[in-house]
Amino acid sequence: MKNPYRSIKTEVLKVTTETPTIKTFLLKPGEKLTFRPGQFMEMSVPGVGEAPFTPSSDSEIKETMEITIVKVGKVTEAIHDLKPGDTVGLRGPLGKGYPMTKFIGQDVIVVGGGVGLAPIRTLMYGLFHMRDQIDKLVYRAGCRNPGELLYRSELEDWMKRSDLDMKLTVDQADEAWNGPVGVVTTIMDDIDVNFSRARAVVCGPPIMMKFATFKLQELGVKDRNIYLSMEKNMSCGFGKCGHCRIGPYYCCKDGPVFTYDMIRDYPGIWE
Amino acid sequence: MQYPLDKAESGSYFFFMIFLKHADLDELLDSLSGDYHVYVPVNTARGAGYTRYRGPGTDYAVGGIRSFDPLKSFYFLGREKVAEDFKPDIPRKNDKPPCMVGVKSCDLKGFKILDFVFIDEEFGDPTYMKARRDGLIISSDCTAVGENCFCTAVNLNPWPDSQFDINLSPVDGGFVVELGSGKGKKLVEEYSLLFRNVEDVKLDGAVKENRKAVKKEVEVRVAEKNIPAYRRLERIVTKQYENMEVWEESSRNCVECGACNTVCPTCHCFLLYEQKTDDKFARFRVWDSCMIKDFARVAGGENPRARLWMRLRNRFDKKFNYFPEVAGEIACTGCGRCIAACPGKIDIREVLARLEV
Ligand SMILES: Cc1cc2nc3c(=O)[nH]c(=O)nc-3n(C[C@H](O)[C@H](O)[C@H](O)COP(=O)(O)OP(=O)(O)OC[C@H]3O[C@@H](n4cnc5c(N)ncnc54)[C@H](O)[C@@H]3O)c2cc1C
Ligand code: SF4
Ligand code: SF4
Ligand code: FES
Repeated sequence: MKNPYRSIKTEVLKVTTETPTIKTFLLKPGEKLTFRPGQFMEMSVPGVGEAPFTPSSDSEIKETMEITIVKVGKVTEAIHDLKPGDTVGLRGPLGKGYPMTKFIGQDVIVVGGGVGLAPIRTLMYGLFHMRDQIDKLVYRAGCRNPGELLYRSELEDWMKRSDLDMKLTVDQADEAWNGPVGVVTTIMDDIDVNFSRARAVVCGPPIMMKFATFKLQELGVKDRNIYLSMEKNMSCGFGKCGHCRIGPYYCCKDGPVFTYDMIRDYPGIWE
Repeated sequence: MQYPLDKAESGSYFFFMIFLKHADLDELLDSLSGDYHVYVPVNTARGAGYTRYRGPGTDYAVGGIRSFDPLKSFYFLGREKVAEDFKPDIPRKNDKPPCMVGVKSCDLKGFKILDFVFIDEEFGDPTYMKARRDGLIISSDCTAVGENCFCTAVNLNPWPDSQFDINLSPVDGGFVVELGSGKGKKLVEEYSLLFRNVEDVKLDGAVKENRKAVKKEVEVRVAEKNIPAYRRLERIVTKQYENMEVWEESSRNCVECGACNTVCPTCHCFLLYEQKTDDKFARFRVWDSCMIKDFARVAGGENPRARLWMRLRNRFDKKFNYFPEVAGEIACTGCGRCIAACPGKIDIREVLARLEV
């Protein structure tokens, strides 16, 4: 019998400070550990605690994985104290992730906000790997201010790609910012795709997901084609502990990615 | 009931049943103690409670009503080490499996829910699965009715009809034995000196008589409490979902102690936490309670069930909507433990009655 509660011993190789409250950790699991875009991991600081996080690195890279983490509480604070050479635990991959095959032959719109840019990074790599199999690819991302823009230099490289229609916005600009200002829905009006068939992916803070979803509906994207990354309180990550229920689903096991038509009728989904 | 039926040459049927004398049950349990941790119900001030069988002197009673401690405590422990360091081993994997004696129908129904949750190929809970696979269940008919029992309202009889290895129906001098599984059949064969085949129509009558009387008494109590009919239970929780007043009124006296969750044979929610001792660390699985405020809270303080009434509603939604939808079973066994345990005197029967307006 397997022990689903056991973590794999993992070494922290590198810590990158993204913003005062966000760090990216390059991790090397002691055993083979692969994941698909949108799947998540339970990461633990031995003896302190465990929390769910979505890898932010390219899932084709098999030896290491990157996870980008906001400091918000007990476990994430302990994670932020980690140094290269420290040991952590990884349990996973968990959840279903993005249905990449459903994107074949379709236009794909990706909408990201704040720390949601981390899991989306993995998705974008995945989409780039299959770029010739999808039609138009659109990426709209936003965050509060330019200082919070994750992987900025990488995003600027992506801006130059001719096979990607990409725009970035911030709620509040600084002197150096010369892009659009406003919430992410304000840069969605010029999206030019076949909305009635397009697939859309949204990942970000709950409030942003809510308004981005309404905007996508307004543009004509079908509820069943809107993929949302839901965040619920989790403990086990595999459908046993009961913490993350949304109607008849468990966010961990049946998600964390859901189509909007699956969950729109259940209460509290945006909280 | 399944009886070994023998067709005699004359063409008429002889009625054979298996009988176990009281003293022979002691002998059986003595012998089983070698391979199992045997638990028996003993009478305490709080009612029947499980205790380890310690030989023929143990003063236990097989019949009566369900124990006050839920059966889950022996399969899915309240606090249990589930992993140590980074080792893939399953803690306590060499422990003897449980042999539970005198298990009642309502707790057996609880297994249907817990099995659904914990048994699966990829992420199954190893200790639960092992206890279920290797454990032995010697169930029994109820011979009394508790003041909070309402099993018939959730379509259960006060006697086991599945999920057991052998069932004991108390009669004068011993028990009529019914086989419920291959494991039970093997047990009876192995101890054929203790389990006797008898031909006694009176015994069969006594079993039926007791069952009828106990069921009748539960039904009277159910009627007194105006519990909605079984087929309507699922629908009323859905129908009243948005009726905030009912949920508010019902949850008003809750003090968030979580006792209702702890004693419930179908409540399975847990929390994982880590503990460090010297240079070792371990992960523990502890029972959790959906009635407690932080249960669904996420980082940043967002809480989809910030209010008490939302949490009570969620508890009912999980039992009367979620489980019927995903597992085809209402996750309430009518055991009434939550009624006895609640310091706020919240009575699930009254909440259900209130929902039917
Ligand atoms: C599928 C999924 C993917 C995630 N991916 C990322 C990511 O890539 N980067 C990132 O920074 N954050 C991510 N999060 C959020 C992250 O898990 C929480 O910030 C983290 O659990 C907070 O833990 P804490 O102990 O520091 O906070 P505290 O507030 O101290 O936590 C207290 C308790 O609340 C629980 N809890 C609080 N918030 C959450 C939450 N959002 N989800 C689950 N349990 C919670 C914890 O289990 C803990 O028991 C993700 C969450 C989910 C569900
Ligand atoms: S909800 Fe109450 S009556 Fe129903 S099974 Fe749980 S403890 Fe028993
Ligand atoms: S037992 Fe009663 S007071 Fe305690 S959490 Fe349950 S409903 Fe609330
Ligand atoms: S995290 Fe345990 S059920 Fe989803």
